[in-house]
Amino acid sequence: MNDASIVEAILFASDAPLTPGDIARADETLDEDRVEAALAALRADYDRSGRAFELREVADGVQLMTRPEFAPYLERFDTVPRTSRLSGPALEALAIVAYRQPISRIEVEYVRGVNSTGVIRTLIERGLVEGVARGEGVGRPVLYGTTSRFMEHFGFASLEDLPRPEDLPVVLRESETTSDLENEEA
Amino acid sequence: MTSEGLLVVETERFRGPLDLLLHLIRSQDIDIFDIPVARITRQFLAAIEELSANDVDEAGEFLEMAAALVRIKARMLLPGPSGEEDQDPRAELVRRLLEYEQIREIALRLRTAENDRGRRFAKGFVEPRPRTIAGDVPLTVTWDEVMAAAAGVVAPEEREREHRVFTRPVAMREKVDLIVAAVTRARRIEFDRLIAPWKERVHAVMTLLAGLELGRRRVVSLRQRKPFSPLWIYRGSNVGADVSDMAADDADAVPNEMERDS
Repeated sequence: MNDASIVEAILFASDAPLTPGDIARADETLDEDRVEAALAALRADYDRSGRAFELREVADGVQLMTRPEFAPYLERFDTVPRTSRLSGPALEALAIVAYRQPISRIEVEYVRGVNSTGVIRTLIERGLVEGVARGEGVGRPVLYGTTSRFMEHFGFASLEDLPRPEDLPVVLRESETTSDLENEEA
Repeated sequence: MTSEGLLVVETERFRGPLDLLLHLIRSQDIDIFDIPVARITRQFLAAIEELSANDVDEAGEFLEMAAALVRIKARMLLPGPSGEEDQDPRAELVRRLLEYEQIREIALRLRTAENDRGRRFAKGFVEPRPRTIAGDVPLTVTWDEVMAAAAGVVAPEEREREHRVFTRPVAMREKVDLIVAAVTRARRIEFDRLIAPWKERVHAVMTLLAGLELGRRRVVSLRQRKPFSPLWIYRGSNVGADVSDMAADDADAVPNEMERDS
């Protein structure tokens, strides 16, 4: 048994992303460097042999995932785990928490302009958001932050993968010409 | 002066007052840094007029924004206290609108990421699908029936107890021989028939123990179709086997061995 096979077995059986450090715990002979080398070997092997799955970096770890082109076949099976999509309001609240964490419910509501008790509860229930601290002030409100489950849900390798505000088309400084606005409408 | 009158807005389409305000501003190419507050307020109020009172919370959120707009307009008309005129009363609203617009855009990006992720499948825990539980069955018993049932309850009869002490246990050997003889004679025998000649429970117990031990040794096999149905003892594959050692189990019972009662 070589390192790559051991690593492959672990990734195959795991239902959550694992870091190279996690994987190295499998055997005394393994360390992070050897795991990294094994991962590179597996990656190359999967690409060369055209496997249906590939190694993806997710939530600071790696996970075996099928390639997107197989989705239509897999979606027909109840036995294939699938994550359900979030509602629009939940996505909005989640975006606010992701960018402004740690943040209280009241602040989320101020940004959205609407009550957000229900959507925040949903996000907590789905493990995407959790209380991370207590704020100052009356009642010391719970401050929320995102979880590693959040990164898994969106397939982000780390929080760095979040869209950067400066990359967004929203005009923050000025809206000089109507052409800008028309682009936005589109 | 504009197409203001033609502006038809369905409030249900909007996620809240900020969403609606942004729509009014962006759809009319209004410069967000110079919002015509009076006109936008009028449109805003017109849009929320038919807001159903079903959701009081939601209606409240829209009304709160309407009040804020009116307050901003008032502050623009009135000369503020000295030293405050440098601050445009619209500034905070503009900041909120831009922030909200940005969040809306980020939410769209998150949706795209979510969709992309949704096309990749990984191993994961599949929750067992909930089984439908039968609903509550309405109680159809009448009081008369309850009374009849209560009246039918009979106090347990005092039974005369037999205080008998068995000083001599029944030897297992005897029961082993009995069973082996029975299944040698016929292919099978009902357990009840083996214990029928005796009244004392100890005979049944010993017969069952002997049967179980013989079953373990495959001298016989025990079959029962369902709980509490008749127990049958069948001839087993080792029927000829030597079972004399089973007597050793009750070696101290041997000297006291009794004849059958019958």
